[in-house]
Amino acid sequence: MSIAQVKRIAISDSPWPWLLPLIALLAVFTIYPFIYNVWLSFHEFVPKSRGLKFVGFANWVQLWNDGRFWGALGVTFLYFAVALTIEIILGMAIALLLDAELPGFAMLRAVLSMTLVIPPAIAGMMFLLMEDSQFGALSYLLGLVGLLDKATPMLATSSLALIGVLIAEIWQWTPFMVLIFMAGLRSLPAEPYEAAMIDGASSLQMFRRLTLPMMSRVIAVAVLLRGIDLFRVFDYVFVMTSGGPGTATYTVSLYAWQQTFSFLKWGYGATLSLTSLVIVMVMANIFIRVAKVRW
Amino acid sequence: MKEKDRKFYLASVTDRFVRGQMDRRSFLRTAGTLGLGATALGMGFGSRPFGVSRALAQEQLEPSAEVISWLKDVAKPFAGTTLKLATESTPPSNAINSQLKKYFEEATGIRVEIEVLPLEQVLQKLTLDVASSLGSYDLYYIDQSWSASFSQDVFDPREQLQEKPDLAMPNYNIDDFMPALVDGIAKYEDRWVGVPYDIPIFIMIYRKDIYEKLGLKAPATFEDLLNNSVTITKEMGPNLYGYAGQMKSGHYALECEWTSMLWGNGGSIFNADKKFVGNDERGIAALDYYTKLKETMPPGVDQWTWDGQGQAIAQGVAASMLSWGEFFPYFDDASQTKVSGLCEAVVPPQPVALRKPEECGYGEIPGTGHQGGSSLAVSRYSKSPDAAWIFMQWATCADTQALITTLGGGTGPTRASVYDDPRVKANARVGAGTTRHLSVVRETIDKYMGSEPDLPEWAQLSSDTIPVGLGKYFAGSYGSSKEAMDDIASQVETVLKG
Repeated sequence: MSIAQVKRIAISDSPWPWLLPLIALLAVFTIYPFIYNVWLSFHEFVPKSRGLKFVGFANWVQLWNDGRFWGALGVTFLYFAVALTIEIILGMAIALLLDAELPGFAMLRAVLSMTLVIPPAIAGMMFLLMEDSQFGALSYLLGLVGLLDKATPMLATSSLALIGVLIAEIWQWTPFMVLIFMAGLRSLPAEPYEAAMIDGASSLQMFRRLTLPMMSRVIAVAVLLRGIDLFRVFDYVFVMTSGGPGTATYTVSLYAWQQTFSFLKWGYGATLSLTSLVIVMVMANIFIRVAKVRW
Repeated sequence: MKEKDRKFYLASVTDRFVRGQMDRRSFLRTAGTLGLGATALGMGFGSRPFGVSRALAQEQLEPSAEVISWLKDVAKPFAGTTLKLATESTPPSNAINSQLKKYFEEATGIRVEIEVLPLEQVLQKLTLDVASSLGSYDLYYIDQSWSASFSQDVFDPREQLQEKPDLAMPNYNIDDFMPALVDGIAKYEDRWVGVPYDIPIFIMIYRKDIYEKLGLKAPATFEDLLNNSVTITKEMGPNLYGYAGQMKSGHYALECEWTSMLWGNGGSIFNADKKFVGNDERGIAALDYYTKLKETMPPGVDQWTWDGQGQAIAQGVAASMLSWGEFFPYFDDASQTKVSGLCEAVVPPQPVALRKPEECGYGEIPGTGHQGGSSLAVSRYSKSPDAAWIFMQWATCADTQALITTLGGGTGPTRASVYDDPRVKANARVGAGTTRHLSVVRETIDKYMGSEPDLPEWAQLSSDTIPVGLGKYFAGSYGSSKEAMDDIASQVETVLKG
């Protein structure tokens, strides 16, 4: 291609020269893997023949009849709902507390973001140690306040293991919510609050009638971003419990990973991943409509 | 003086010196007599006595001149070749990668790239390599449970020896590999799937000081093991518990320990009709036994794999474990643990009853010394199979194995002759990298070794179906051991039906 041709493309009104690189990237890293995954879900790897064999809808039928999958889906939904609810409430509460120009608050806001730079696998490892029943600081503290028996290992007890994992998740990602909510709070106009104060509205009334409605879009975006991430949870569970005890903390992502990489069931792993993707897309779209999120 | 005796004496005096039992002058004088004088003088001992001395003393453990000479000669046509191996982090691979491959590379001009990966990633890489026939890896590290799957993808080393006499290492002696390990690790049907490369095996490790304090004897039977553990936990808990397990739910470690309990109580995983029988009368008795033993273990054992188990011994939290022999040298390392010199190794306890291999299916061999291990083989898809074969012979020859065992911290050799190597025997004393447990490892391999079944579905059964079910049982999700084992049995059958 000559220099003149390059120049002509650069000054042309057509959007294609600028869109093509992005389209190429999308095609290679998003569209092709998606189509390949769909194709793979109708095949299965056969170790003996070292090849993929067409199995029709067998993987989908297996998924429907697979109790482990439904159990993992239940755990994933529970994890998603509990983490999201707590992160929203805590995130909003902390954002409201820190939304003031008091001495030291700027530093507090900076410190809050530090949890976000830690890789989730490392955070999971930290909490794995802190929740150890023998020498874990967190287990010790919970024992002191009577919330945990010293002889009860949190992560090895069916009824407590998910809570143990959620503590790590909430510790790490609540600051993300705080940062988003604080950005939203700082962009709110002052006039409605001044008018409400003149009318004698209480703080609670102002929060319910002004802050929440005006923050709804910010909250919706935060919920969407975190919700998608939460549904794909893998790191904490993998590091802290490997899905156990039994299947108490098995999530869909962990199950898909295990089927694909540990047992080399590439077709069934693809089926599980696709199902997870479809659930996330459906939920996200319903939420966007209900919450009237506009981009 | 014979070469063997000279090596033995040299190793012995070096060991005495690094442990501070011999002064510098005596050591130099002796070393000079043995022909080590110039090297020893260049060591620069003085201001940094212990750590540096030990490292430099280990430097003296180098490949034999004969082996290097053969490598230089045979590998000339392959200089410039690059070989690739994907392996799990095991003592032989680590010793070769960090300390020994430089000798091979210098002598041959062949570059060796070793990728140390988690086991499941090694499996992925090998599977992709054979599926694509790309030959990205010249050598395959094959876990014993994969031998059936990869048996057709590697060269049988006996055929390589016969077909390429010009590349055969003098005195390689393939018959030196311990027959039990060849059967248990490296053989599938009539083919050798490489040669045995490493052998982790369960031995009984216990705190001799605690046992003596309470007037107990080393557990000779499974009954002894339980009774001793109960006594220790009762007398010394919660500061010290009788036994440490490897019971992480859903982890292969739990399956390994369970099989020892199962075999030790007269049960087996499969019967001769290839039906899962972990839920028969003996299987239930084994799980009940395991449940009682768990009561003597520290809280949190449900979260431990073999790492947590080993740490429990090393930190003085538990007094015994039936686990991988390669942990033993770590316990003797005073810089790493509180229990240096306090642990002893004995063969695994005698079983209550033992099923015969012919009563089991899929090649399962009941035995209380649960055996792991891997083989090393040349890939059929390698673009440099001859260079890879030279490397494989070097990596698994007796001389290299002796170096691996001494430098790699007392890991068990897979060749019978290496147990008698003077360099290996010289390390049989209390201290880091001890080999004083190897006589027990050898006896366990010869007499008490238990091997898991070989079937393509075993990876899923051993790393998921069985340990997840057991994890649920120990977490209280089942009403009884019978209910748990019946459920596991039905899940195993489902997996086997595909």
